[in-house]
Amino acid sequence: MKGLNIAAAALLCGAAICLSDGAAAQERIVKITGFGAKSGVVRVFGVNSEAAMKAAAEVINASGGVTLGDGTKAKLAIEFLDDRCNAEEGISVVRRIAATDAFIAVGPTCSNVAESLFGILQKKVNDPSDSGLQFPIIADVAAKGGLAKISEWAFRNVPSEFEMYKSLFAWLRKTHPNLKSIWGGVEKDFAHSNATFNVMIQQAESNQFQVLGKSEWLLADTTFSTQVREMKRANPEIVVISAHPFTTCGVLREMERQGVKPKLLIGLTSSSSIETLQGCAKQAEGIIIPTSFAPVNAEAQKAATNVAKHGGSADLHSAAAYEIMFILKDVIEKQKIMARPDTVAADRVKMRVGLAGLKTTFGLLGTVGRTEDREAIKPYLYVHAKKGTWQVLHTP
Amino acid sequence: MDYLDFIDTIQSIADGVLFGATYALLGIGFTLIFGVMHKINLSYAAASIGAAYASLLILAGFKVPPAFVFVLSALCGGVIGGLVYWIGFKFIPLNNPLATLMSTLGLLLLIDEIVVHTTQGVPLAYPVLFSDVIIPAGPFNLRGDLIFVFMLGCICMVLLLLLIYRTRLGIATRAVSQQPVASALCGISTTRVNILTFVITGVLGGIAGAMIGAAIGMLSPLLALPLTVKGLIVCVIGGLGSIPGAILAGLLVGGLENLFQFWRGVSERDLYIMLLLFIFLVFRPGGLFATAPGRD
Repeated sequence: MKGLNIAAAALLCGAAICLSDGAAAQERIVKITGFGAKSGVVRVFGVNSEAAMKAAAEVINASGGVTLGDGTKAKLAIEFLDDRCNAEEGISVVRRIAATDAFIAVGPTCSNVAESLFGILQKKVNDPSDSGLQFPIIADVAAKGGLAKISEWAFRNVPSEFEMYKSLFAWLRKTHPNLKSIWGGVEKDFAHSNATFNVMIQQAESNQFQVLGKSEWLLADTTFSTQVREMKRANPEIVVISAHPFTTCGVLREMERQGVKPKLLIGLTSSSSIETLQGCAKQAEGIIIPTSFAPVNAEAQKAATNVAKHGGSADLHSAAAYEIMFILKDVIEKQKIMARPDTVAADRVKMRVGLAGLKTTFGLLGTVGRTEDREAIKPYLYVHAKKGTWQVLHTP
Repeated sequence: MDYLDFIDTIQSIADGVLFGATYALLGIGFTLIFGVMHKINLSYAAASIGAAYASLLILAGFKVPPAFVFVLSALCGGVIGGLVYWIGFKFIPLNNPLATLMSTLGLLLLIDEIVVHTTQGVPLAYPVLFSDVIIPAGPFNLRGDLIFVFMLGCICMVLLLLLIYRTRLGIATRAVSQQPVASALCGISTTRVNILTFVITGVLGGIAGAMIGAAIGMLSPLLALPLTVKGLIVCVIGGLGSIPGAILAGLLVGGLENLFQFWRGVSERDLYIMLLLFIFLVFRPGGLFATAPGRD
């Protein structure tokens, strides 16, 4: 009897092991690797992107996951690597990802990383003389204009700041015909702030605003009295600040101290975040910023809630990462990606073809268009700070 | 130069000198440790900012007067100062100057990264005192919060000087600084003096961190590295080991920084400060308060 019991127990164990193996074989996991800054002062971007990717993956998995080329269903799993916003580390991280079975990577955070990184990819597809890395990458945050042009393996789902500020200044001209003079303020040592400042000034001048001058400061500056005095002497009607929250708040506080009260304040896209409101809600009251994300519809609100659940915050950058996951799901299914170790090279090519062939994609604020240069044309709106929150001012 | 330019020049210098009190406090921290141990503690400014962050995070959710945050920052600074000694100096061979330089550089990065990971690198609002107060002085306006920072800095400096020149601990500190072997033979515990020096400079650093946060109204991990550079510049210009030198150099660097910002703009501002440092290193390596070489 005892022998029979042992035999029965062994049989049960065996059956359980077989069943679990079978279940594992049924449920496949497709790993999507993201990368970006998860250390250093821009860590928050990486944290938000990772949370957004995980939140989107959770939604996709809850609705059944992705269908692979062989008809099996797979769940998405997210891995996120740190490139420290450093070009060399970014390249190293992508080489590491490319050495695995991954058929796509999502990132990076910083434009300087994207610029160098896209440079190691094969420039033109099917060019036998180009030994560059043949691995598709889709960027979510790196904001500098035109980066995807560098390689046909590079894609972006990043809003066009040129289009946003072009539209904003045209709208300002129309809605505030009496306002004429502008003073600019820029964080001189930050590539994104500088590039966007040039766009802002160019668009202001194109719309017949008179640019009286500019004040400059550095990303880690602590006093702004001299810069704001320059501004005060010029007495502009509009002040345009192309800086990130830390110095934007410093300048706004100094403007309040010196009694500089322009009729309009315009800010940088990246400052339309909770950090600005946490740092200087009172001084930022009324600042107008164009953004490609705000929780203005059910889909966007759901995304914001899901991202928050994963420890991040949904903003124009992380919302792009969220959208990318849905774009990848569609491409995986349409291109019949197999996601097997023996099909890696073919899967990468198929992903690239699939991404390059997209004309429109899913967007939280509406359909996103795609350009020939593998960039996104994202819907946007203008928000302004009101009573400690960001509120929609206008939807172009 | 027209009248307005003249007024702005003076105003820029005044703002810079007032803010320079924070540089002076940082410079004192660097110089005191150098004076006692003949070592540079590169993690000092990061620890100061770390202390200010710690005071904010500990009190997150509590509604307390801003002054309490300052006091807590000073206490956190003292604790972090003690930890810096234990981690970066206690077990490191002190006869190798590079060893402690590297260990404190590592601590700078470590403290900075701890702050970044705790706060996600997001700038945090810091309580300000007297931010709405503007004191008119003829055509000039003096910021109430910067005057407060300046006064607090001056009080700290006076207290520190009293501590060093009027207490037994101060005598012991100076003895260890001048003759470590002889002071040990006299029964002074070098380790105890070293730890106390780190704790005291840590307290000063905590106050400096809080003052910087209060003057800006925000804290960011971005501040650690530039303030380290500023502290070192102040320390060298003032004269390594000289407390009055650090005070004067802090105010000088603050004023000149703003002056060059006004005259030459942000792109050249730091260039002139570095040039000043270079001039001191070449023509007056002992700094403003260089002491004549004695028998030691």
